[in-house]
Order: sequence, then structure tokens, then C-alpha cells
Amino acid sequence: MAFEIPRVKYTGRIREVVIGSGPGAVKVGGADCYPFYRFEGEMPNPPRVAFEVWDSEPQEWQEWAIEPFRDVIGDPVMWAKKCIETYRAELIVLQLKSADPNGDNRPVEEVAEVVKKVSDAIQVPLLVWGTGSDDKDADLLRRIAELSEGKNIAVGPVSDKNYKQIGAMAIGYNQVVMASSPIDVNLAKQLNILLTNLGVNEDKILIDPTTGGLGYGLEYTYSVMERDRMAALTQEDAKLQFPIICNSAPEVWKTREARLTKDDDPRLGDEKKRSVLMEAVTAMTLLVAGADIVVMRHPDSVSLIKDMIGELCA
Amino acid sequence: MPPEYRIKFLPIDRTYPAEKGDNLLETAMQAGVHINASCGGRGVCGKCRVRIAGGSVGSLPNPLLSGNDWAMGFRLACTSTITEDVVVEIPFESQVDRSILTRSAILSDLGSSAANEALAVRYGLDPLVARYYCELPKPDIDDNIPDAARCARALSAKADCGEPMFPLGVLRDLGMNIREADWNVTLDVAPDTCEITRVTAGNRQSAHYAVAVDIGTTTVSAELIDCRALSAGSMVLASSTDYNGQISYGEDVISRIMYCRKRRGLAKLHDIVVSTTRRLISDIVRDAKIDIKDITHIVIAGNTTMMHFFYGIDPKYIMLAPYIPAATAFSPSGPESLPLMPGLDARVYSIPGISSYVGGDIVSGVALSGMADRSGITLFMDIGTNGEIVLGNCEWLLCSSCSAGPAFEGGGITFGMLAAPGAIEKIHINPFTLEPMILTVGRARPLGICGSGLIDLVAELFMARVIDRNGKFSLEKQGPRLRRGENGMEYVLCFASETGIERDIVLNEIDLDNIMRTKAAVYAGCTVLLKSGGIEFTDLDSVIIAGGFGHSIDIEKAIIIGLLPQLPVENFRFMGNTSLGGARIAAVSREFYTKTADIARAMTNIELSGNTQFMNEFMAAMFLPHTDDRAFPEVIKMLGNR
Repeated sequence: MAFEIPRVKYTGRIREVVIGSGPGAVKVGGADCYPFYRFEGEMPNPPRVAFEVWDSEPQEWQEWAIEPFRDVIGDPVMWAKKCIETYRAELIVLQLKSADPNGDNRPVEEVAEVVKKVSDAIQVPLLVWGTGSDDKDADLLRRIAELSEGKNIAVGPVSDKNYKQIGAMAIGYNQVVMASSPIDVNLAKQLNILLTNLGVNEDKILIDPTTGGLGYGLEYTYSVMERDRMAALTQEDAKLQFPIICNSAPEVWKTREARLTKDDDPRLGDEKKRSVLMEAVTAMTLLVAGADIVVMRHPDSVSLIKDMIGELCA
Repeated sequence: MPPEYRIKFLPIDRTYPAEKGDNLLETAMQAGVHINASCGGRGVCGKCRVRIAGGSVGSLPNPLLSGNDWAMGFRLACTSTITEDVVVEIPFESQVDRSILTRSAILSDLGSSAANEALAVRYGLDPLVARYYCELPKPDIDDNIPDAARCARALSAKADCGEPMFPLGVLRDLGMNIREADWNVTLDVAPDTCEITRVTAGNRQSAHYAVAVDIGTTTVSAELIDCRALSAGSMVLASSTDYNGQISYGEDVISRIMYCRKRRGLAKLHDIVVSTTRRLISDIVRDAKIDIKDITHIVIAGNTTMMHFFYGIDPKYIMLAPYIPAATAFSPSGPESLPLMPGLDARVYSIPGISSYVGGDIVSGVALSGMADRSGITLFMDIGTNGEIVLGNCEWLLCSSCSAGPAFEGGGITFGMLAAPGAIEKIHINPFTLEPMILTVGRARPLGICGSGLIDLVAELFMARVIDRNGKFSLEKQGPRLRRGENGMEYVLCFASETGIERDIVLNEIDLDNIMRTKAAVYAGCTVLLKSGGIEFTDLDSVIIAGGFGHSIDIEKAIIIGLLPQLPVENFRFMGNTSLGGARIAAVSREFYTKTADIARAMTNIELSGNTQFMNEFMAAMFLPHTDDRAFPEVIKMLGNR
């Protein structure tokens, strides 16, 4: 008898979620096999890279991270446009860093105005990433969901503490939510149940499993994402059959290894090459674990990852 | 059987049987008819007004009912008793909705005296210390054997206990004692060691008592047992329960063991648990009006750490990996090695345990449950400060312990309490008005909430959408009973004026968190143990629930909150304090006591600490009823319909 390659028996499919509207809208999810296991199933929508843009000029970025955006880094609208026009970004994640209550704590209206300007200026889908403070995000993301009516943006992180406030507005203004849970399969599933019970449509949810950077807990994220996907695809766990987004760029670029220069420690080699590779390896790992969207910073690492996706999906 | 009457409730038109003397409010609760009641059934709040539309009830005028109301047939349900068939009309203000409890699934404690006697008969009535009356022939020059041998000779005619010996303490006064008694003495004999443990003047056979004690981390209970023939009536003559005095030194066993590291810490904790036990024994001796000298033996069941404290053994290695106790079985001891209290020179026996975290209390309960005699598979859950779980049948037994926390014993809950008079034990909440219907133990003024009440309360608040599936207060519902307190949101079950503590009785967010953790730990423990045995919940023949919840438990509500697996109600049995129950039977049946040792030997312990599967199951169970909807299909269906 001829040898037969054993096949995984899949029983589920990841839901398809559309972000954005009009010709630039992007559809993610839809796979009925493990990531890139296209010999076993379908992966109708390839994973996507989202470029990150900050809502105010970053103060602590490495020189080599600023370099590709030096001319636009003080203006979120121009920055987003450059990502799209120069680096061919298909998605933009706007990180609302200036709203952080532990930092500048800019008021809701001011920040929401920035988001509106960016969303009005671009044609690609916008994902808006809040501060991580449950209370501030509840107010901020609600307002943003309202102001962005008709744009089908994604808002997050939505936690079990503020899912009601943000979820209700997302339903009202027809936006996508990014449901964030701390590296735990059960907590991810629980939040999805809470959101769907609240009335959030099942094709309006992305899972944020919480991401660790390479060397800083990436393996935990990896295991949890792997289990998310096993539950969704082989155990018919409907409440986990949502696309996954990993907000990985800030995690990679804040690490010590992405900050030290060659002069600080010659053994570590060239800082730019090193950081770019760290970002690319992190993103690659997350994609292999099941990410549908990875958030990235440097055009060079994005280019590596796009090549990888292209080859694996060819 | 007392005559049965038919109680018809209007306007929902539901008829329910009741017996003469039954309380009308309780009957309504059983029938699943909602009547507002917030004073626990004491006739204080005046909310349970009903109109008697046909027949009559036994009821006294109450200042909360005007003369006119009285004439129109209004009565307070909580102070009315059934005397005949009656039609009860529930006025709008007492009823508000037509809410009906879906189905009555309330199981009462099966530790009834009839069940006890049946078990004792099966194992044979043969107390651990026997009592014999002997009329000794007076010695003379021909019959000149020693006093001790004389006692032994007289005894050999009555019982087969080999060559009985006297402990030194008894021997020292023997000569004087038997002569003062004029050679007519009662001998207490412990056949296991062949010792005559006491000599008492005269015939004391008609007064032969034992004490059963359950030493829990949170509570200690004691019962006075009559060791004589079963026809004597109830086997349990008196009982008493109190918090373990050690609570002030930490709520769980780990903090108590930590305390032991202090200078004289162990001696202190030993003294405290002994004095709690002493106080309970004094109580039951006083209540039953017996002479303490007629107590021949004591049987103690407790978790392993508590047994260490009781015997004054250092438990410190229990908390250090790999968690080894000094012992789990303890030999019988007399007052010379373990002086408990003056006048009491009973022999002390204890039920053997298995491991550091599965002790004699569990072995005692498993023996009582009879699960080790049946071929069908039983899941036994003792929900105390630790949740201990045993799975198995007559061929194999697996056990495990999960640190559940004392929530269902009232620990760590703002208004939690034991199932003592005044504890709110049953609760129904109107899902629209959020007005509660409560009943207290002993129908006393509410003082707090016991375990069964907490289960009801969380289930009712959940079904009324006051609590979300993640066990947090929903912000959608509003009402006079929902407010923001010191510890976040809270639900007011009783306003201060209706209570016996002059404070509002509430359930707050921290309480909810504690209950969620406890129920999750118990359910997760069950899941892991079942998986270890390769068993599904549906393979279970029966589920036995033990613990200090209260006098009964509403199985359906325990399923709604995901404390118990979703199985048909008839598969569950509630047995209350089985640790005490097992000690009780062991006191009067040597064979049962031997059986406990067999069970202890047969059990395999599955360690859950550091078990990643347990942590994963725990997180999954931290949801109402559970993260996996497929495990609770009926509850999910009910949620959809609410």
C-alpha cells in the first residue's frame, strides 16, 4: 500500500472579518486549516501586515526606527499616507499613545480628532489601538467608534472590564472590536462569549491574544495561539473561530536588544539589522502560530514578512 | 403519615400538597411560587401578605396587618401554618410577577437517624469501647487471685477480649475503686488493644456514650452518640458546631502551618483546637444532661493538618515540597497521652487519612457514602475549606484536593456564616423587581448567608441578569437593591431594619469573586480527576455532595452557577457533614471503623498543586456556568429564554 501522509481532521473554520469600507476594505480569516497548511485546507485570505502610526511624535524611538519616517513623524496623517504610498501599507494601526493616562493623558476629544483626520485622509482600513487603560479606553474608543461611523474601523483593546461600553458603541456604529485577553485560551473565549452575548456580530470580532516580543514571552503567546487555533479548527469551538491580531511592533522595539547599539555591545552586531530581524522573526513566529494581522514598524522587516507570506501562499 | 392538604395558589393556579403545621411561606417556596419576603420568615417585614380566599390557616394577628385587612382575609404567609385545604391568593404587591421556580430540585441532608441506624445495623453494632457490668465475687483465702485478674476473669465470661490488661493509671486506684464499689463495677473495655480503660462503681451499662468530632479548618462539630441498642431511639443525643478557634491565626491550613513556625506556635494552635473541642463536648454533655464519665470514647475525623494540630504534632513538612505529613493514621490514645478535659477519660480514636491534603474527614465521608461498596461509579465532593473529591467504586478510588477556599462555609464572604439559626438558606429573586424571597435557618431574623443561600443568591442574580457570565455585576440592571458600596457594586438582600445585625446584608463584588474562585476550583478538580480516571461526567452513577453548605442544597441552582456538573437531578445526593457522619458510625461499629482503614489504603491520590491541566480547567470554570457551553447545554438554553 502506498504511503499516505497523515492529515489533520478539521471540523471548524475561522470566520471572515472585513475591516474598512469601499475598495480598500480588507478581508481576513476564513481558513479551514492550520496556518499555511494549504496542503490540508484553504486559506482564502492571506495574513496581513498593518503598519503602525503613532498619534503623536514618539519620543523614545531608536534613530534607525525613525529614519524611514523622519519627514512625517510629527504628523500622523502624513505618516499614514507615507506608509500607504511609499511602503504600500494595506492596513494602518493608529496607536493612541498620547492618550495614556500614565503619560501625556491627552483628552478624549483631542485624540479623537486626530483619529478622525487620519481616517478621513486614508483609503485603507484603520485599526485604532487605545491606551490599555480600561477606563480611558472605554471613553476614548466609544467616542472614536461614534466619530468613525461608516468607516468600519477596528477598535481595541477591548477587555472584560470595558467590553460593555466599547462593545455597545461598536454595535451602534457598526465597527469591529479587537477583544484582548492576557495570554489565556479560556479568557479569550470568555471575552468573546461576553461580546457576542452583548450583541456584537460574530463577523465583527478580532482576537488579541496579547503579544510578547522575541525573547520576552513570545513562546507563551505562541502556545496560546496554537491552542486557540486547535480549539477553533479541530474542536469546533465556535467562540474561538475569529481572526487573530498581534500588536507586536511596540513589544519588539522596546526591548533592550532592539535598543543597544553596536557601540554599546559589539558582540550584538549592527543595531538596525538586528532590530529589523528581531521584528521579522517575531512576526513570522506569530504568523506561523495563527496570526491573521501582525502590527509592524520598520519597512525593511515588513518587506521580509511580505516575502514570507507571499512564498507560503504562492 | 399526617393528613395531606392541598394548597392552591392564585392567580398562578398551582396546587401543592402540604401537611398540617407546615409553614405557608415555606410551602410556597417549595411549590415555586414567589412571594416577597425579606425578613427570613419572622413576621417582621410584612411583605409576604397573602389573602386566604378559601379555607383557613393558623395565623396570629400582626401589627403589620390592619383590622380591616385581617377581616378581608389577609395574613402574613411566614407566620401562617396549614390546618386544612386552603386557597391562597397572592396580591399583586407580594407577587409582582408570575415567576415560577422551574422545577424543585432541593435535596435535603440525608444524615437522618434512620439512615444512620440502617448503616450501623449493616456493619453491626459493636462500639469501639464496650461497657460491661460485672458483679465480682469477693476474694477469700481460696479465691485469692489479684484484683486485676479478678476483673479479667469476670469479663471473660461476658466477652471475648483475650487477656485484658489495665493501663497503669487505672491500675493504681483499682484496689480502692472496686472495694468502694462493693465489687459491683462497670468495666470499659477497648477490644482493639485488650485494655480495660476504666472501672466505674455500680451498673452504668444503661449510660454508654461516645462523642463523634469533625475537626474542620473552618468549623468543628461534635455529636453525642448513644452506644446502646438502636431501639433506644435517636442515635444522636445532642450536637454542637462552632468555628475553629484557630481562624484568628489564618483562614487556611497553610497560614496556620506558617504560624507554627513561631515560638510556641504549635502549642498554641494545639491548645486552641483542643479547647474548641472541649467547649463543644461541654455543650453536648450539658444539653443531653449526661454524666461526662459515661463517655467511653471519642472518634475524631479531620483533615491531615488539623489532626496534626489536635495531636500536637508539628505539621511543617506538609507545606514544603514534596508535602509530606508526619502521619495520616494515629493510634488510639488515652487521657494519659492526650488529656482533653477533667473528668473525661475516654479513649480517642481517629479516622485514618491518605495524604497531606486528603485526610480522615474524607475517608470518613467516603465510608459513610457507601461508594466503596458499589460497582457503579460515584463522584464524592466534600466542599469545605478545601474541596476534596473522590472518584471510584468498589474496585478503585481516586482522590484529590483543590484549595477551594471557605466561601461556602461562610468564610471570606462579607455576610457569610455557617448554617446556624438566622442564616439565610434559601433565596428566590423576582427577575423584574429584584425583590427577594428569603428563608432563614430556624426562621430567625437574618444574620447572614450560609452556603446554600449563597448558591441560590448567585444563581438567582445570574438568571435575573444582575450578574454577567464572567461573575461581575452587570451595569444594565438598576433598582433600589443595587448600589455602589465600599467594595464595588453590591446587591442588598436585606435592609438593616429587617435583619438581626442592624446592618444591610449585601453581596458585593469581592464576595462574588470568592464564590467564583471556590466553585471554579471544585469543578476544575472534578474535571481533572475524571480525566485522570478516563471517565466522563455522564459515566457517573451518582454524585454525592458533602459539606457545610446548610441543611439542603438546590441542585439546579448549583448547576446554574457551574459548581456541579449538569446531570439529571436524581443522580445527586446531598449528605451534609459526612465526616462527622462517618465518625458517628465508627463510634458504634468496630467493623465500620476497620472499613475506614481499608478505604484509606485503597485510595490513590492525584496531586493537583502545580498541575497545569488543573490551572487550565480552573480558568475555564471561572465563568457562569462555564467557558465551555457544551458542558451545560440546559443552562445555556435557560439563559437564552430568560
